[in-house]
Amino acid sequence: MRRLSATRRRGRTRILVLAALALPSIALQLRASPGDTKEISGTWAFEPMRIEHRLPLPPNAPREPFVRGSIDGHILRALQRNGLTPSPPAPPTTLFRRVTLDVTGLPPSPEQIAEFQAEVERAGLDAAYEKTVDRLLASPQYAERSAIDWLDLVRFAETNGFEMNQERPDAWPYRDWVIDAFDRDLPFPDFVRAQLAGDTLGEDAATGFLVAGAWDQVKSPDPELTATQRDDELHGMVATTAAAFLGLTVGCAKCHDHKFDPIDQQDYYALRACFEGVEFGSRAWRRPTEATPQTGRDPVTSERNVETFASVVARGVRFVVTETSDAEPCLDELEVLATEPESSDVGRKRRNVALAEHGARARASSVYEGNPKHALEHVNDGRFGNDFSWIAKERTGFVEIEFPAPTAIDTVVWGRDRKGEFRDRVATGYRIEVLALDADGAPRWREVASSSDRRPYASREPTVYAGRFEPQPKTTHRLERGNPMEPREEVLPGGLKRIPAEFPQFDLADESARRRALAEWIVSPLNPLPPRVIVNRIWQQHFGRGLIETPSDFGAMGVRPSHRELLDELVNILLSGGWRLKSLHRSILLSSTYRQASAPRPEAIAIDADCRWLWRFPPRRLPAESIRDSMLVAAGVLDLARGGPSVSPFAPNDNYVRVYEPKTEFTAVDFRRSVYLLRVRMHPEPTFATFDLPEGGQPCPRRGRSITPLQALSLTHAPFVLDMAKRLGERVERERPNDRDAQITRLFEHAFGRAPTATERTATTQVASDHGLAVAARALLGASEFLWLE
Amino acid sequence: MNRRQFLAHGSTGLAQIALASLLADRARARVSLEHGGPIRPTIDPAAPLRARPPHFAPRAKRVLVIYCSGAISQLDTFDWKPELERRHGEPLPGGESLVTFQGEQGNLTRSHWKFAPRGQCGKWVSNLLPNLAERVDRMCFLHGMIARSNTHGPGENQMSTGFTLEGFPGMGAWVSYALGTECEDLPAFVAIPDPRGLPQSMGNHWSAGFLPAVFQGTPFSASRPIAHLTPPRGLDPTSDRAAADLTRALDRERLERFPGDSELAARIASFELAARLQLKAAAIGDLSTESAATLRAYGCDDGNANKAGFARNCILARRLLESGVRFVQLFNGSYAMGEGVGNWDGHKSLVSQYSVHAPILDQPAAALLDDLAARGLLDDTLVVFTTEFGRMPTFQKGASGRDHNPKGFTVWLAGAGVKAPFSFGATDDFGYQAIAGKTSIYDLHATILHLLGLDHERLTWYHNGAERRLTDVHGTVIHEILA
Repeated sequence: MRRLSATRRRGRTRILVLAALALPSIALQLRASPGDTKEISGTWAFEPMRIEHRLPLPPNAPREPFVRGSIDGHILRALQRNGLTPSPPAPPTTLFRRVTLDVTGLPPSPEQIAEFQAEVERAGLDAAYEKTVDRLLASPQYAERSAIDWLDLVRFAETNGFEMNQERPDAWPYRDWVIDAFDRDLPFPDFVRAQLAGDTLGEDAATGFLVAGAWDQVKSPDPELTATQRDDELHGMVATTAAAFLGLTVGCAKCHDHKFDPIDQQDYYALRACFEGVEFGSRAWRRPTEATPQTGRDPVTSERNVETFASVVARGVRFVVTETSDAEPCLDELEVLATEPESSDVGRKRRNVALAEHGARARASSVYEGNPKHALEHVNDGRFGNDFSWIAKERTGFVEIEFPAPTAIDTVVWGRDRKGEFRDRVATGYRIEVLALDADGAPRWREVASSSDRRPYASREPTVYAGRFEPQPKTTHRLERGNPMEPREEVLPGGLKRIPAEFPQFDLADESARRRALAEWIVSPLNPLPPRVIVNRIWQQHFGRGLIETPSDFGAMGVRPSHRELLDELVNILLSGGWRLKSLHRSILLSSTYRQASAPRPEAIAIDADCRWLWRFPPRRLPAESIRDSMLVAAGVLDLARGGPSVSPFAPNDNYVRVYEPKTEFTAVDFRRSVYLLRVRMHPEPTFATFDLPEGGQPCPRRGRSITPLQALSLTHAPFVLDMAKRLGERVERERPNDRDAQITRLFEHAFGRAPTATERTATTQVASDHGLAVAARALLGASEFLWLE
Repeated sequence: MNRRQFLAHGSTGLAQIALASLLADRARARVSLEHGGPIRPTIDPAAPLRARPPHFAPRAKRVLVIYCSGAISQLDTFDWKPELERRHGEPLPGGESLVTFQGEQGNLTRSHWKFAPRGQCGKWVSNLLPNLAERVDRMCFLHGMIARSNTHGPGENQMSTGFTLEGFPGMGAWVSYALGTECEDLPAFVAIPDPRGLPQSMGNHWSAGFLPAVFQGTPFSASRPIAHLTPPRGLDPTSDRAAADLTRALDRERLERFPGDSELAARIASFELAARLQLKAAAIGDLSTESAATLRAYGCDDGNANKAGFARNCILARRLLESGVRFVQLFNGSYAMGEGVGNWDGHKSLVSQYSVHAPILDQPAAALLDDLAARGLLDDTLVVFTTEFGRMPTFQKGASGRDHNPKGFTVWLAGAGVKAPFSFGATDDFGYQAIAGKTSIYDLHATILHLLGLDHERLTWYHNGAERRLTDVHGTVIHEILA
């Protein structure tokens, strides 16, 4: 099991996926699924899928105009079983506004509404609507909207969290990768593979998934604290991966076998072993398009550089800095490795003969004054990181290590900050010399390595906060009662035993192989969970609630599906669309179910008040991002620029414990879509935080929909809202100069996509005349119609 | 339909729509419904903070937490160790290879502050906090507290949310969810940050986590009102009202078009609540109605701006409790802004640091206790004086301060339902590790909920596959301290 090729399994998986599409009943075990009314067992989600050739309708579906396709058939059958009838179609402009806001997170402009109406006249509603759906799904705004749900789920934020909560200025490429993945409609298995092992697939930024969560930057020599911090890191990776892709809560199994689901402690630690080599931090960002650079050794890095040379018996080593990236040079440690391990050395690890504890002495050309963190002794004290580093007083200089006795050496390892936090003060020009006897038997300094054969150092080498990978991960142990100080037997990487997919064989010596194997196991056609979980998330995106209300818990503690067969039918649709999500979105959006009116009907409410059976399109408040973006659209200032570093909604602060005070003045740079705002952990965007913005502490598979007086206060007094209202007022005045009546009409068109009623016109005109258009505009931006998807 | 009409719809099941939406993540998980299962509070979506009955008869109706950010030293305040004084300068027995948060330990170091018997009970307390020391007869000490983490972020998280990780609901959010509040015109849960700034775990202390945002703590202080409470400068109040009225008129007209949309009705209600909140919060924050004697007793006239500011926050806390606010978290100490500058984190030069922090805390907090007692509020208000963990009986190697110590620290309670004067639990001879009456943060939380009439094992919220609790899967009520 330990040393087998991973490639064999990969090939087989591909074939199986194809087989699942072409001849599903052969590739997969066909089993009758229980009807929606029957009791569904707690392990229903583990049962194999009923994969069939697409049937336009379920065999026993009622033949009614409502039924446009298989989705409607399932919905109608369940409605009828519950004594309900569907609602009539929504009015065309309502539907148009709904689908535009829902798919892109942005409201349609008055012009787009007019175009749609013209298209309806010309081609009929069905054709116009279908064209709209296709246009929206093809737009980058669809991807930006969809990415938000995924980022919530993986608790993505661009700060570390905890006490210091400092920024991760290079975390945004993961957000862009997610958007791009939705935009290019990456097949779901590839979406999974990239996030677990994108470093091996030319998708570096994708592994931002692994390290999206909180990370305690405060480090300590206390071994128990250090072990606990690491334990928390790995637990977060395991729990989030299982929740996101498998829809399972495996966290409980850290301490004991799962009480309700077929997951035991062994399973938990097998998953955990897959992540054992993953460390929080940034690494070089090789963009897919990047040209291969010239020849030579790799450029120096700020973290760790290895220099090897022919073994030589030396009395000392000298590291001479001739050039730096910016300021005075810094070395956090200069390690010199003996050619042969000594018998007393632990394992096969070679001795670092430069260590002071082995009797070596350090000397330097100069030492940075006034900061004990950068004393000379740190260069050979065995401790890494900026806090234990040597910095010279001049821009050039040297550090010299003298050994207690001549020793055979062949490797020097050096770096500026092995912890990866600091990237300044890098020695970009250097030479390494050894003090050895020359042919005449006299001790003389001789160069053994230098920067001359390296490719040039790019000072702004792009990095991405997508994790760093330890080539030789520690072994993973089961922890007694989950206590990191009580390791028990070793556990090898693997999947959950209950899932019939076999964990691919892989090379244990290759760190990334275990992550690749995990990805292949997750997307195996024999694993029924991931497709069920993702189709349910997509259903939730459109209806506000999934067919399973607990989108990250398909286990026994979760809620049973309302429409079990429909869920698997959605999987059918996904698979027959080549695992591409847009095909599934399209099927849902084109269904009669989605196109229903949202008006309440008393007789239906009496039976099904919370609309579990979808007798109407369930209206709901927009997510915070859509509210903010809608304001920018109404004010006419939205900047649709895509990607790149985030814009902070907070004032700049450089205290080492970051303090996040809301910005109170806004300029054009702030008017980008909300998905591009800096996500500060535990400090959601301040104007809309009360609208259930997640904090990035724990995974958020579904947002709450609170109604609080604090929301009302934000909508009336927040500087951002007032600014938008002012701009909307000015815009209306500009677009319809000197015509109050036309201005009021325009105001309603921008805010609600329609003209005002007579009473609305009277009331709004009064306010505009007495207090100005900005005040009237503020009233509209705070109104429910503006905030609602209906 | 107005709010009253709307509420009348509750019986038709209409309110359930909004309830389902309000509590969107509240899935009807399959949980055991027999005795011992979760007890779900019934929440009116139009008035989600309305008072709700507890699980059983409570001893306390509301809670005040005085939170000392940065880990206030038990050894320099309330945990008297004669042996530490005697063996001052000697190594900590068994501590030779001990590595704590910042590294190696120096020798045992007695407190700089003198201990003496205080109050009627004669409990030995230091003179670092002389005013609080005189109130020792009101206090119920837990000397055997232990914490899970020895670093501030996770430590503060655990004390306020039960979990060291980010993103779990604060204690006050759990209590608001369970009990609502007695004053619907104010937030149920108020967090009062120190005048110097937010505490080290910042908003995680009062986060709603995965509970609905309506149960989140609302931060404000005597110097900093609720965010967006009042129109910004330059905005004419008449215009402000006109805009709010127009919004409501538009919503009402919409409600006529969609009768029965109870989520919309709840939103209209929330605007009305906001209007009342504006009035009430402004009145609560106006300390000019306090007598000169009261202001002086708290220390509002002090030349030390931080002390005067904290004193005003203490008065605000009393006013909130008096109005029926369910849970008030009053912070002393802020985020770190340099070694020991903002809070109780005395690593390097504890004596000079604590000489700055103690006067800010002492008189105002003592006056608050007196005031609560004088107004009869201590009869049904539980006061909890706490911090994230303790400090070492040794000084750090090469420094004149104490390192973090999660193995033993002191918390005290006062007021409703607890014995006083009373001490429970003990650390060893040096004040290092809890050895008797060991109590965890889970136990403390279980006890606080118990005093509020809540069973910590049955106050749950389904999230991501688990019925989550404030106490995770731990916690035992500390019956020994209950009056």
